[in-house]
Amino acid sequence: MIFQRHPVSPQPDLLPVRLPPGAQSGSLLTWATVGLLLLLALGCSAEQEFPDQPISLICPWSAGGGTDRVARQVAAQLESELGVPVNVINAIGGSGVTGHTRGAVARPDGYTLTMITVELSMLHWRGLTSVTHEDFAPLHLLNRDPAALFVRADSDYQSLDDLQAAVDSAARSGKKLKASGTAYGGIWHIATAGWLDRRGLAPDAVNWVSINGAGPSIQELMAGGVDFLCCSLPEADAVLGGQVRCLGVMSDERIGGFEDVPTFKEQAHDWSIAGWRGVAAPRETPPERLRVLSDALAKVTATQSFRDFMAAAGFDLSLEEPAEFAQTLQRQDRLFGDILTSEALRGVSGEHFGPLMFPAIIAVGLVVALLIVSVELWRERAVPLAAVPGDSPTEVTSADTHRSDSKDVRNRLIYPAAVALAVMFYIVASEPLGFVATAMLMLAGLLLALRVRPRIAFSVAVLTALVTYQVFSILLRVPLPRGFLEW
Amino acid sequence: MSETVLPAAQQIFLDPVIWGVVIAAAFYGVFLGAMPGLTATMGVALFVPMTFWLEPLPALAAIVTMVACAIFAGDIPTTLMRIPGTPASAAYADDAYALAQRGEASSAMGIMLWFSVTGGLFGALVLMLLGNQLARCASWFSVAEYFWLYLMGISCAVIVGGSSVARSLLGLLIGLLFSTVGLSAVHGQARFVFGQPELFQGISFIPAMIGLFGLSEVLRGSLGLDRVLAPSAAPLQSRSLLGPALHLFPTRILAWIRSSTLGAMTGILPGAGADIASWVSAAVSKRRSRTPERFGKGSTECLADASAANSASLAGAWIPALVFGIPGDSVTAIVIGVLYMKNLKPGPEIFETQGVLVFSLYLIFILANLVLLPVGMLAIRTGGLIMRIPRRVLLPVIVLLCIVGAYAVGGSLFDVWLMFGFGLLGLACERWKISIGALVLGMILGGPLEERFVQTLSGGDGSLWAFVDRPVAAGLALVCLLVWLSVALSARRNRLLPAGESDA
Repeated sequence: MIFQRHPVSPQPDLLPVRLPPGAQSGSLLTWATVGLLLLLALGCSAEQEFPDQPISLICPWSAGGGTDRVARQVAAQLESELGVPVNVINAIGGSGVTGHTRGAVARPDGYTLTMITVELSMLHWRGLTSVTHEDFAPLHLLNRDPAALFVRADSDYQSLDDLQAAVDSAARSGKKLKASGTAYGGIWHIATAGWLDRRGLAPDAVNWVSINGAGPSIQELMAGGVDFLCCSLPEADAVLGGQVRCLGVMSDERIGGFEDVPTFKEQAHDWSIAGWRGVAAPRETPPERLRVLSDALAKVTATQSFRDFMAAAGFDLSLEEPAEFAQTLQRQDRLFGDILTSEALRGVSGEHFGPLMFPAIIAVGLVVALLIVSVELWRERAVPLAAVPGDSPTEVTSADTHRSDSKDVRNRLIYPAAVALAVMFYIVASEPLGFVATAMLMLAGLLLALRVRPRIAFSVAVLTALVTYQVFSILLRVPLPRGFLEW
Repeated sequence: MSETVLPAAQQIFLDPVIWGVVIAAAFYGVFLGAMPGLTATMGVALFVPMTFWLEPLPALAAIVTMVACAIFAGDIPTTLMRIPGTPASAAYADDAYALAQRGEASSAMGIMLWFSVTGGLFGALVLMLLGNQLARCASWFSVAEYFWLYLMGISCAVIVGGSSVARSLLGLLIGLLFSTVGLSAVHGQARFVFGQPELFQGISFIPAMIGLFGLSEVLRGSLGLDRVLAPSAAPLQSRSLLGPALHLFPTRILAWIRSSTLGAMTGILPGAGADIASWVSAAVSKRRSRTPERFGKGSTECLADASAANSASLAGAWIPALVFGIPGDSVTAIVIGVLYMKNLKPGPEIFETQGVLVFSLYLIFILANLVLLPVGMLAIRTGGLIMRIPRRVLLPVIVLLCIVGAYAVGGSLFDVWLMFGFGLLGLACERWKISIGALVLGMILGGPLEERFVQTLSGGDGSLWAFVDRPVAAGLALVCLLVWLSVALSARRNRLLPAGESDA
């Protein structure tokens, strides 16, 4: 063990403060520890059928968004179907790169599922990740949301032709219209650019304001910051009801629940595109586990409560079984490959304001601030007060205990070094050993290094590790690292 | 009016289910808030599956109570261990911890509890009386206006900040630079990731915050373990829990109104929540204070004003959520999802079609804050037991809490590395008195600030006029300039004073 390199003989008298009443009687603590360990051992029975431990469902988008809502509904129902907890993990950021990557590289044991979204078919074509649909074993497609164009209810544009004419004349006059709905290069941006391209306009005839998420984009539309909006039909309709007008939905047929919204096709604009969501597992997951999961998902999606939820939230239910979903994924991948690598859209990829502009401004400021602070520090050097090294400003009493003999200095460095080693030990050991064992070893080692009596150190280590595990993993369902012992 | 008030009051105050749910949610919320790394948002998200089996009203009651309690409870580890339990406590972490070091932990927490409760009640009143009207303000704000707002937000860090303007600025800029790591939200291109896939999502600020405040304090505390015998481990005096708060309150009525109003207004704006609210009100409170030099070193004014503001912001965030269906913060984003699940469609018409429900919601806010008072006192007492644990035993346990808290956010060990690295950085910042709070705020607001900056530029096709060509934007720009000017002037004045003024 790393901590035993500097064995410290326990010095009971060094324990400075009185202990809490329970801790004084070490035997009580020990018995409690043994009891808890026994309980825990009883909980771990022999090998069981899949699944026998909590399942994580990775959601690549933030809590509260549409994908998250679907994920949580699926998780709750899957949980009662499979009989084990199903936890949603929001691995967000990077336009979906983070979540999809984590889902693809997760251990293929069936205990990590991913809510994959349309971005999976787009990200690798944009060179943002190497993860593609081939890294996943698809389970079920859940829904499709076609794109739609919106303007404010008080806008002059009544039809797609109106809007197209306005885009065209604005672009010619040099003051382009502004639009948003998602981040630059996101699904709704591609939908808009593709529409413009199909109509013979340049894909960048509109200034796309890169706003993450439909909600903030809708707010921008209401504030007059953008002229029109592209997002899925339920996203905008759900939010603003009568305050926006939908000019058309990019699908071949009208959408259930929105029968009064005309399609692009009806208006002789031949263009359709949709976002989708589905559940998938890492590719190498054993087929028999995939079957268990897929059967459970099939039961979940067939329930009335799932259908009611999707209908209430306005998500267009579109169910596909694994085989069919796999074909869809292949088709989607080709489709977006064609769109994103096309001559017309490649021109779109360059934002005028490079990603390094803002960091550059900050860096310049940082250099200036560093210079000023260095001057200040240089001046303070003259003041003797600042000469106590490493002392905190709050430790007022330290002035009179200030000694600099070598033993003191060595002692002072041992403790922080032990803390640092403990954290590093946890990081290295928790994946192979699992949380409980790692936490116990780490705590015991650190407590001993801080010269706590061994009996108290071990009891505190065992109790704290077990209680933390119970609270986080069992009560709150926050996943903790699990090792070969399964806890 | 009365045809909604009476049924609503009956629904709330006479229903044992509501009471049960509210009390249970209060304990759950306190626990979540007090655990570093578990935020109110995460708590609500974890709770969502349970709302399937609840009626709409108990479900909403649970969420409101949980969040109100979590935001206060975040103050408890902030005071006792200097680990902000939720980001909303980061603005006054140094003040609260400094008071605890002086043995005034219980009165500090009492003050925060009292002002959280009263601030929350104030926020509920604002929601009740002005909700519908105020919601319209949110529709004035386009990306240009938000740019100026966020710029003002980060200026607050410089105003509140510690020993010198330059050092707060340095902390802020370091934080801003950290915020640019990862895929940029606007461009979708990777920056400063050094081939690490984990860095694509950027540096998440909760592990960073736990490291900067918590772990660095453990490291520092372990340095002095053998010398300082039981530093100020004065146990919580039993009587003085709310006494100092009640003593302080009458003298700060105006400040309380100001802070709560600021908090509620911050809450109304989408994209700014409780964390920003406490920064803004702490900054304003320092500018108006007669003893600004005590800020950052244990100012009860700072604690009181910022606690009132972050609690008041919670109700504010519901205003745009109810009126437009646009979330005011991450919690109300989830709430909107829950509303849909319950077939309740937010929007202007919800006030007519669901009048009783909306009024019940107002009452829930009041009930939640009233329940917070006893539950919070219980939590402070329980938390106070920590003070009786010997530091040698406590420090390793805090290390474990820091690790688990950092891990809980995204379930990734990389975040634990981050927490560790930021712990060391925090130690260095303490050494050179660079403001940690400013660093955290820079990390929180850096992303949105850059987004609005680039969005405004690209919307205006590169012209800088885009920042000021709308009247509201121009007005905000002017206010921003004035704030910076006054900061620069007062920094200059301090420079002219004899040395030694910079730290007390």
